[in-house]
Amino acid sequence: MNNIFGIIYSKPSYILIAVGIFSLLFIPLIIISEFLFLEPFLVFSVYPETTLSFSLIVTLSFLSSLAVSMNIYRVKLIKETRKIGSSIVGTIIGASAGACSCGPIAFSVIATFGTIGSITSSFLTIYEIPIRLTSIGILGIVIFITSKSLSRECKVNL
Amino acid sequence: MVDTKKIAVAGAAVVLFVILVTFATSYMSDFDTPRTSTTEDEFKTLELKQAPVLGSKTATVTIIEVGDYQCHMCKLWFEETRPQIIENYINTGKANLVFVDMPFLGFDSIPASEATYCADDQGKYWEYHSMLFTYQEDEIDGGWASATRLQAFAFNLGLDIEQFDKCMTTDDHYARVNYNKQVAVTEFGANSTPTFMIVNTLSGESQRVVGAHPYSTFENLIDSLI
Repeated sequence: MNNIFGIIYSKPSYILIAVGIFSLLFIPLIIISEFLFLEPFLVFSVYPETTLSFSLIVTLSFLSSLAVSMNIYRVKLIKETRKIGSSIVGTIIGASAGACSCGPIAFSVIATFGTIGSITSSFLTIYEIPIRLTSIGILGIVIFITSKSLSRECKVNL
Repeated sequence: MVDTKKIAVAGAAVVLFVILVTFATSYMSDFDTPRTSTTEDEFKTLELKQAPVLGSKTATVTIIEVGDYQCHMCKLWFEETRPQIIENYINTGKANLVFVDMPFLGFDSIPASEATYCADDQGKYWEYHSMLFTYQEDEIDGGWASATRLQAFAFNLGLDIEQFDKCMTTDDHYARVNYNKQVAVTEFGANSTPTFMIVNTLSGESQRVVGAHPYSTFENLIDSLI
């Protein structure tokens, strides 16, 4: 499996894709989850109570960047797009967790959808950690399956 | 080979369904709770200036916190940042703190806010306010701020329970809470909690802070306004 990672990330373009996806996910998530504030000053802060939540965001962003970049490589190699959907599903599930809390997203959702919005917001807030863990699990499975499948396909192609 | 995508989607759907049913069931009991309407005349008789103030009323800086007692980030700010502000600015007379209710997260948010004013009638607003954030639980409308628990908090603070119950059942402060929510949205432009307005009461200069910022943000802003 290490060999597969070596093959993929020996190409700078895939490192760039992975870094890009990580940044695109990580930065909005830490802003939404109130770890990074842009106003009135640029402030980054992780309280002891929120360390786990922050660690999960880092893990989720990292695994998403791996899963998506590996699947882009796979698509280019064998023109098969099935697993890229799983990695996107995993990413979306993880990203939606905790996005509501008491922030403007929750306010908009509750103001627009009333009770249903309130229920959704509560759900995403209370189950933030289990949802993110589920998402990490999905991404882990996707990475494992993709790397195994790439190992097999690379051998065939060689 | 088993399709992991199908398993994931099916699993997520089952979990979502179970949770939605659980939530819907717990919410149903709140639907038949009547709420007294608030007229515009009632609003006019209320002013934010009547709000309880923590610290010196003549302090140069006023920190206005817009919050919901069921908001997790408000609790985080209450536990992590507020004690340092109290120690360095409120106890020293440089700043004071006012809380403006913006109950929007759940059904129990409004009674919780009302309860603080019922406690205020007996001179224990800030004690009750602190008790709500101290005992806040993760689940919104999960029962931690139910009528029984609100009464228990009042009992623990040594309030006159008969007077507190009467205040709660007659919705004495419903109009005030509603008014505060309107002020939070229209005057302070709040669309999330906690939101803060840090105001120099002499010059009128103010700064808006959105979110549970760390102490350093408040330190910089308050020092720049003093």
